[in-house]
Amino acid sequence: MQKLTITGVVILFALSLLVSGCAKKPAVETSEVQETSQVEMQQEEPAGVTDTKIEDKPAYDAAAYDAAGVAAAAERAAAKGLKRIHFDFDQYVLTAEAKSILVSNAGLLRAAAAVKVLIEGHCDERGSDEYNLALGEKRALATKNYLVSLGVAAERMNVISYGEEMPIDPARTKQAWAKNRRANFKVKR
Amino acid sequence: MKYCKISFLLIITLCLICSVAFAARIEISAPGEQTIPLAMTNLLPMGVGGAQPAVATEFQEVLLGDLQLSGLFDMTDPAAFLSDADRLGLRRTEIDFYQWRMLGSEALIKGGYSVTAGTLTIELRLFDVITQRLLTGRRYKGKLTDVRKIAHTFADQILKSLTGEKGPFSAKIAFISKRTGRKELYMMDVDGHQPIRMTDHRSIVLNPDFSPTRKELIFTSYSKGNPDLYRKEIYTGRESRLSLKQGLNIGGRYSPDGREIALTLSKDKNSEIYLIGTDGTIHRRLTNHYGIDVDPTWSPRGDKIAFVSDRRGNPNIFIVDVHTLEVRRLTYQGKYNATPAWGPKGDRIAYSRMDNGVFNVFTIREDGTDERQLTFGKGSKEHPRWSPDGRFLIYSNDLNGGEKSIWIMRADGTGAKKISAVGGNDSHPAWSDHW
Repeated sequence: MQKLTITGVVILFALSLLVSGCAKKPAVETSEVQETSQVEMQQEEPAGVTDTKIEDKPAYDAAAYDAAGVAAAAERAAAKGLKRIHFDFDQYVLTAEAKSILVSNAGLLRAAAAVKVLIEGHCDERGSDEYNLALGEKRALATKNYLVSLGVAAERMNVISYGEEMPIDPARTKQAWAKNRRANFKVKR
Repeated sequence: MKYCKISFLLIITLCLICSVAFAARIEISAPGEQTIPLAMTNLLPMGVGGAQPAVATEFQEVLLGDLQLSGLFDMTDPAAFLSDADRLGLRRTEIDFYQWRMLGSEALIKGGYSVTAGTLTIELRLFDVITQRLLTGRRYKGKLTDVRKIAHTFADQILKSLTGEKGPFSAKIAFISKRTGRKELYMMDVDGHQPIRMTDHRSIVLNPDFSPTRKELIFTSYSKGNPDLYRKEIYTGRESRLSLKQGLNIGGRYSPDGREIALTLSKDKNSEIYLIGTDGTIHRRLTNHYGIDVDPTWSPRGDKIAFVSDRRGNPNIFIVDVHTLEVRRLTYQGKYNATPAWGPKGDRIAYSRMDNGVFNVFTIREDGTDERQLTFGKGSKEHPRWSPDGRFLIYSNDLNGGEKSIWIMRADGTGAKKISAVGGNDSHPAWSDHW
């Protein structure tokens, strides 16, 4: 029985990964389409005036003409797509997994140049409160510095540490602690 | 605020032979090693005004609680009391000391009370049974609601008469509680009674410290979006932001003379210990290391500061000389030592160490020798702070499934007991100086 549920959970997880992967891609593609579309449109416009009812993607159509619309879409994508990263206990060094997430986050942030973010550093409940405030700040700064190295302007990112004050999961388990040791992103406009 | 209104008068009219040495004067640093057999009689109604047994009962409970917590006394069983216990006679010549000697008591507390027009008068005497002398006599006047404060104040006086050093029971304890759902600053009596909320920030309030010279507290709050250091006058309620540098402004601790505050700032993208003035201006930077430096605590002479740093890998306690800025390491055992608190007597530093995910309170001498573990078993015991006389430690304990509460124990680790109410999720205690 337990095995079944575990496999169930694994499958669900895999599915959710697929879904989130799918959901994310169009967002990234948006910016690519936008760059090339203007040239293509000029070429296609005389020929293809007849067919205008692409109601599936009105935003993209608008985006093709409206830079503000594109920016808004990229902003929405950033607001949705910026993923939190996790740390090892008493560490503020970025793990390989965290770095790969930040690469994707950096892409979203570069696409949405108007977006400013607040990077929050958090810790698990183990450890002293003040030490964890300092550790949370180190985590947020490590995150920011890596994004800067990936071409995101430093002025767009502020950091704050909440130490162990705002856990996602208040349980006292290894899984909960791992979830709580994190840096997450809040989009500001 | 209610505290402001305490029109409480301490009249020392009876202090005739206050400073006479007690026959069995004992060492304050060694509670529990030598106890004084003490008899405490019931408070009896005196003079005009009717009897109010509830007042007498509350007074006795509070006083007895303090005396037992001190660990200095061996209370004579009231069931064994003889006829003298029921006589109001408060004068030396009216007391049958022979009865008390028979019971083995060496010290005796007698007292009377009266209530007239809302004013409570309590008259108290402490006698040395062996020499048949008055050690201290006090008459307290206040409102009916002051009965607990009177009892704590007399407990302090008893300790002063018998040991030469005043007790810490009439002081206050500041702490952080989540009882509204958010972390706010509170203040309560040393026995956990009469908690009062001091802030309404509806944010995150952390880590209070009392001014040694004024009725004032400092603490950190996220109220304006950044962890800033605040100052609050206790009686006026006036509040101001003292340090609002970008990044952390945390762990503020008044210097022993009250003129400076040591705290952690991270304005340069890394946490370091600084000294600031009471106007918030930076006086001095004490540490300079890329690692984490937090949690300063002053030596009682104000010449050194112990703090936590991970500069050698794991969090450990270091000491920096305020004048030379020389840093040396204090703790070597364990993998996670944090929240140091330098004792008011200067000889020992308390801190908490995490082993296998659980914190316990330790003390160590300033030179790094004689490390002692004071607490054991389940529950993380964190943030130890000393009583102003160095006799006790308070700390938070999460024994009840993650909910923290404030505990008190003697400086040798004995007599541990919970003082804060259930359901508060209370942490970060700080003991005021004599109030």
